[in-house]
Amino acid sequence: MSLLAINGLTLRAAETVLVSDLSLTLAPGERLGLIGESGSGKSLTALAAIGLLPPAISATGSIELAGQQIIGASERTLNSLRGTVTATVFQEPLTALDPLMRIGRQLAEPLQRRAARDGKPLRGRALDLAIGELLEQVALPDPVRIARAYPHEISGGQRQRVAIAMALACRPDVLIADEPTTALDVTTQAEILKLLDGLVRDRGMALLFISHDLPVVAKVVDRVVVLQRGIAVESGSVGDVFARPQHPYTQALVAAAQAFDAALEGVA
Amino acid sequence: MSLVTLDQVNFAYSANRPTLTDISLAIAPGTSLGLVGESGSGKTTLLRLLLGLAKPTSGRISFDGAALDLGNAGFMRGFRRQVQAVFQDPYSSLDPRQNVRRIVSEPLRALRLPGNHPAMVDAALVAVGLEPLVATRYPHEFSGGQRQRIAIARAIVGKPRLLLADEAVSALDLSTRIRIIELLKTLAADMTLVFVSHDLGAVAALCDEVAILERGRLVETGPTRKILTAPQHPYTRALLSSVPRMPVTTKEA
Amino acid sequence: MSAVAADTRRPRASLTLWVGLVLVGLHVAVGLLTLVWLPYDPSSMTGGRLSPPSWEHWAGTDRLGRDFFTQVMIGSRIALIVGSGAVLIGALIGVTIGIIAAFATKLLDDALAATLDILIAFPTLLIAMLVVAASDSASLFTAILALGIALSAIVARLTRILAKRVLLLDYITAARTSGASWPAIVIEHVLPNIWPTLAVNFALQFGLAVIAEASLSYLGLGAPPPNASWGRLLQEAQGTVYTAPIGAIAPGLALVTLAIGVNLLADGLRSLIDPTQRGRA
Repeated sequence: MSLLAINGLTLRAAETVLVSDLSLTLAPGERLGLIGESGSGKSLTALAAIGLLPPAISATGSIELAGQQIIGASERTLNSLRGTVTATVFQEPLTALDPLMRIGRQLAEPLQRRAARDGKPLRGRALDLAIGELLEQVALPDPVRIARAYPHEISGGQRQRVAIAMALACRPDVLIADEPTTALDVTTQAEILKLLDGLVRDRGMALLFISHDLPVVAKVVDRVVVLQRGIAVESGSVGDVFARPQHPYTQALVAAAQAFDAALEGVA
Repeated sequence: MSLVTLDQVNFAYSANRPTLTDISLAIAPGTSLGLVGESGSGKTTLLRLLLGLAKPTSGRISFDGAALDLGNAGFMRGFRRQVQAVFQDPYSSLDPRQNVRRIVSEPLRALRLPGNHPAMVDAALVAVGLEPLVATRYPHEFSGGQRQRIAIARAIVGKPRLLLADEAVSALDLSTRIRIIELLKTLAADMTLVFVSHDLGAVAALCDEVAILERGRLVETGPTRKILTAPQHPYTRALLSSVPRMPVTTKEA
Repeated sequence: MSAVAADTRRPRASLTLWVGLVLVGLHVAVGLLTLVWLPYDPSSMTGGRLSPPSWEHWAGTDRLGRDFFTQVMIGSRIALIVGSGAVLIGALIGVTIGIIAAFATKLLDDALAATLDILIAFPTLLIAMLVVAASDSASLFTAILALGIALSAIVARLTRILAKRVLLLDYITAARTSGASWPAIVIEHVLPNIWPTLAVNFALQFGLAVIAEASLSYLGLGAPPPNASWGRLLQEAQGTVYTAPIGAIAPGLALVTLAIGVNLLADGLRSLIDPTQRGRA
């Protein structure tokens, strides 16, 4: 059974159709990339999957997350799914973290929530250990110092690692990453991608990775869905889609990405 | 003789934390130079110095043989006419309350340049691949790529000799990005271009020279092909290896 | 990053705006009417003293037997003159200081900002009273000037914040590199972009000025007779509020309708102008 099954999803804002008849599935441990440029509806699809659509946008069709229908579900149901079944990492780590809360405290929240749900409350020394362990897992140097720091006191790359740590603290079945490296430098991006790839593999998490950047997507997923203005124009394995794109839009994207690669090889 | 020369330029916002250290660089007329750096490299500060928006703490910047004199209004008028810029965010670089004609003609009006302004605006719009008809429309009616074309039209309408582009394609979608790079490449045939970017792929596709900035210092400069194929500095190598590439696919029909 | 398609339809005027327009329009109409026609001569005895409302005298008469409705009508005119005059003066001084502060060096900006904060800490009415006290005689013009100066600090602070926000945008840098001078940047970019928010604020200030003028007049610091300010009418009605309540009710109602009217108008304008408020109605 698939963890996430989207069937005939249509998203509308007033009369404008933003996503049209989209269907996709994500099996446990599977890694899927949702590729699209601005206005493609890729981020809205991610928000819809966790029941976080802005009120002005209406959804029809079906989204099943761990067997639960998301569309029309109560806030209570949605809350019980978010942070246990799914966790999300967004593009801008600075806005995802509370600026007035030390990193350690921000990590403690999801850790304690998850522990409480599992029926074994976490506090005191055990909690501190768990926080330190998490920070180590996302390869942050000097976890003790980082735990005591405020978000503005660490670099953008470190903040994104913290955001990933917060997602991991939930021990989700699906990690949703929406352009998680777009705001980062290239060298930092490379490190974060490597980290994400390793973590997802080690834990057997499913990954829904949303990006406009083809080579970035190729680094972390097996299968892709290409969205153009709300319509899925092509899907398949990374190898197939990138080597033999069928739809003109995918062909244009692949050609553009290859042109940059060629330029970098000094060929152009 | 070079068009722009930086000689031992230093810049610091606060006394003991230098943003730029000992930058020496000569940009020959007709070159397209890619200024590459990550966040905190000082590339934006360097661009501000080149634009005459800030003064070096020490060192000398000269344009066309004359030292940049920010206090001299007459000199700056001549300088502004010859040096124009395109910025990163096409959403904040166009005044939402002005129509395209007013936006593009700003340098003509501000510098009181002679000539038939409406015709010059139309020519600039055509040069960036837009219809002159768009002149009466407002920025919000255009996509990101089209907005960036409008910003480029504003930069070239007074026929400057030096065009400075600050991350001018970074905010654009991939397919739009490659088209704007092609446009800049065409324009660079007639002028000198300094393209500031963190995106090595874009720089490689557009520039014939590259200068790599790391924490306020120039670590490597040279012809693009040489830097891409035989990078000398470890930082350049790290940067190059970090750029994600498409998976290697067997080329088949 | 996917954005919701921008709503490019023309925003619709809200009910708030319409109610505000009607209320303010009513006062403007009455104010204009008083210039050409009045039911009675405002200064002559036309009936018994303190007579209750009747067909002849809609709001009764005052203690000198003058028609009270006529005086309330004239009050509309006075309120509108004071409101617009004070806002105009407040806007001229405030916008100028705000723009200067926004463009100034850090030191001057800090000094101006601190001065404005101190001024704003005093109630508008108190500042206006000080200005009136400092001038020799109470006149309509002194009242307007006093209120204008009192409002200017609020306008200046808002202008400074709005202008600073605009100055950070790339189109200002683009204008600078295009060779535009600072005055040109103010006129071409800063003012047009901060104007909508300022306009809404001016409407609110107008309401504030009208109430403050009524308070000044109530305290005897406003426009002297024969200017029939609502504040003075209220003050005069104070002694007879139990025997002839209409004397307090009529000017009070007039004041309240105008004040609510401009506030609704300001709210309506805000949602019409401010795109972030669109579609929330």
